[in-house]
Amino acid sequence: MPLTLQYHCSCLSSKPTPPPPHLPSSAYNFHPLHTLFFCEECDAVRCNHCVMVEVSGYYCPNCLFEVPSASVRAEKNRCARNCFLCPNCRNTLSVVPSDPPDTGDIRLSAIPVSAVGEPPFFLYCNHCRWDSAEVGITFEKPTGLAAQLQKFEDSAPESLEFERLKEHFEPFLRASSSSSPAHHPTASSHHVHTNPITAAASSAISRDVSGVAKYNPLARSRVGKDKSANKDEMPEYRSRVEIGSTSGLGGGGDVDVEFVKHLEDVSEVANLEQRWVNSWASSPRASDLKPLRIPLLSKKTKRCPTCRHILIKPEQKAQSVRYKIKLVAANYLPAIAVAVPQPSSTEVAKRSTVRSSGGGAEADKGPEGMLAGKTYPFHLSFTNPLYDPIQVRLSVQRAQYQASGEAPAPEKARRPPFAVSLPISAFPIAAFAEAWEYEDDEDMFGVEDDEMGDADVRSRDREGRSKTKTVGVLEKRANVTIVGGEVVIGKEAKGDVKFNMLVSYTYRSDDPGIDETEGTPSRTASKGPVMKTFSFYTVVDLGPIIPKEEPRPDPDL
Amino acid sequence: MDPPIYYSKSEFIETDTGNKVSRRATIAGPQNIILGGKTVISSGAIIRGDLRRTGPGHAVVISLGRYCLVGEGCIMRPPYKTYRGNFNYYPMKIGDHVHIGANSVVEAATIGNHVEIGKNCVIGKFTIIKDCAKIADNTIIPPNTVIPALSLFSGSPGRYVGDLPESTMEVVEMGTKGWYKRFVAVEDR
Repeated sequence: MPLTLQYHCSCLSSKPTPPPPHLPSSAYNFHPLHTLFFCEECDAVRCNHCVMVEVSGYYCPNCLFEVPSASVRAEKNRCARNCFLCPNCRNTLSVVPSDPPDTGDIRLSAIPVSAVGEPPFFLYCNHCRWDSAEVGITFEKPTGLAAQLQKFEDSAPESLEFERLKEHFEPFLRASSSSSPAHHPTASSHHVHTNPITAAASSAISRDVSGVAKYNPLARSRVGKDKSANKDEMPEYRSRVEIGSTSGLGGGGDVDVEFVKHLEDVSEVANLEQRWVNSWASSPRASDLKPLRIPLLSKKTKRCPTCRHILIKPEQKAQSVRYKIKLVAANYLPAIAVAVPQPSSTEVAKRSTVRSSGGGAEADKGPEGMLAGKTYPFHLSFTNPLYDPIQVRLSVQRAQYQASGEAPAPEKARRPPFAVSLPISAFPIAAFAEAWEYEDDEDMFGVEDDEMGDADVRSRDREGRSKTKTVGVLEKRANVTIVGGEVVIGKEAKGDVKFNMLVSYTYRSDDPGIDETEGTPSRTASKGPVMKTFSFYTVVDLGPIIPKEEPRPDPDL
Repeated sequence: MDPPIYYSKSEFIETDTGNKVSRRATIAGPQNIILGGKTVISSGAIIRGDLRRTGPGHAVVISLGRYCLVGEGCIMRPPYKTYRGNFNYYPMKIGDHVHIGANSVVEAATIGNHVEIGKNCVIGKFTIIKDCAKIADNTIIPPNTVIPALSLFSGSPGRYVGDLPESTMEVVEMGTKGWYKRFVAVEDR
């Protein structure tokens, strides 16, 4: 049961506050810090849901060939070299030669004739042992397999049909694309920033799933009549082959019935997953499955949705993990980790780990849960990524929680399931310095006790009861500050201890040299040191509450 | 914030460069194995440095970079094949910041930097894993698979299931360094 702390991205919503954390939908608004981006222009966090994505390059995930975008379309987004997926299990297939001819002489046959082996070659799956000879596909030479298969692919009835459809619609498309901007100015206005690739992607998402209750010849012809009666001057499309009359399998005709009647084994039928990528009239026979060319993957450029500035720009090389531009939130926002200290368990863990003598010891497990009616301390560690010290102020998003958490509940008198206490006043985090990064773990932390005087931030507990040291700044070293909080769990609480926390940090933006790295070069026009504040929401999940097990005396719940 | 991981001091041999090798790990052919420094070989791991290429001279069989972890009960074995009628083993090269979960079997040819391999995985012969890739727990990677950079693989057979975030390199590096820092010895009583 890991404790998590995730960061909020408003995703351009008008409301800057996140939804209450107990709503299931709130999970979509929160993300781990390292998946977030930061736009310097807008001074805002961006996430993968809201950034604009553009393809910056295509590559084959198997041969790692970088496919020029010009040929991607011609090759139908799949690798056109030697890379194939097993139609059975989707593993990559390897090309294997046939066994050398048996000459009868063992010594002679042990020395192969050529380096590549004997033709015919076929594709073989190392995982499920499928091989292409089963479906009658063999090759004369072990290279350029896709080209050798091309003729089969091009002559397949569905691809011919598709070509014909494209031809049929092309004049109409050309006509409509020239007239549409005038026709629908409003419809396109909210897609101002939509580029062709994004548009293609969105239409791909909204397309009909092949073969699932969409094809209706009756309805189609009716619609066609209506259309022709109206404005579209579309000639009726005549398909190459009327699908109901196809003699092949998969058309739903008598042949299919015959096949199913004589089934002996379930594995003779290709399952839905195996047929998913085929056209909708594919054969249901598992032995008819063909090797699939591997779909290409892409590297992506990401842009801010409002100002269109580039947040992520990968290097050209497909397998490089470096970026020309990389504006990630982890370089701007303090990293926060949450932990629940287990006071007595450290020794236990120490002893047990030693006994089990462990590399991969599992001592870092969180607690199983929190008992109702108890009080638990928790720690939040803040790591400052900036080259300037910052002041951090925390607050729990309490009002909204109660408003939306309690209002729908019928019993109004019920208390919130738990109450969270956090340090009220601001606390400092020292600047990040490269020196902290140096290998040695200890002896770098000379400054540790310098500012401990500040630690009088201590905890006026909200209930005013226990004035313990659990709430407040607990530890400071390097660019890390650990603060303690406390959660009081109600006696009848259940659910998760999960709350939204607003984090505001103030940093000094004075000299431009530092500002460059810090990320607000656009605002540095002001003279002298300026304190700037940035706020963001997080959701803290401290795990589930273990409800009291004894039955409650009062029956009205 | 994460609690330290304690181990008994007498169980591990620590080298000058900070490698920690369990006495309960089976290291065959240690002269053919290179550890980059600050790399941990957990107990029960088996590393087959003895499966070397035939032929004279010195041969590096398995090399691991810095800040690597070979989990408990892992088996690291160089890949082999018969090429032109000759059976041979081929070297295995593993980059920096690579963590391999417990009880995984690795026969890869190349593993890049910042790679995470989960528990109970099988990495087939001659697999090539590029930088910053991640293999989920219980994944079976068939032989000769190529795993591109920044991709997540899982399942049996292991398939591409998604991209990893752009900051994976930093996250993994912080994780492996932090793990090594937390892996501390306690004196025996």
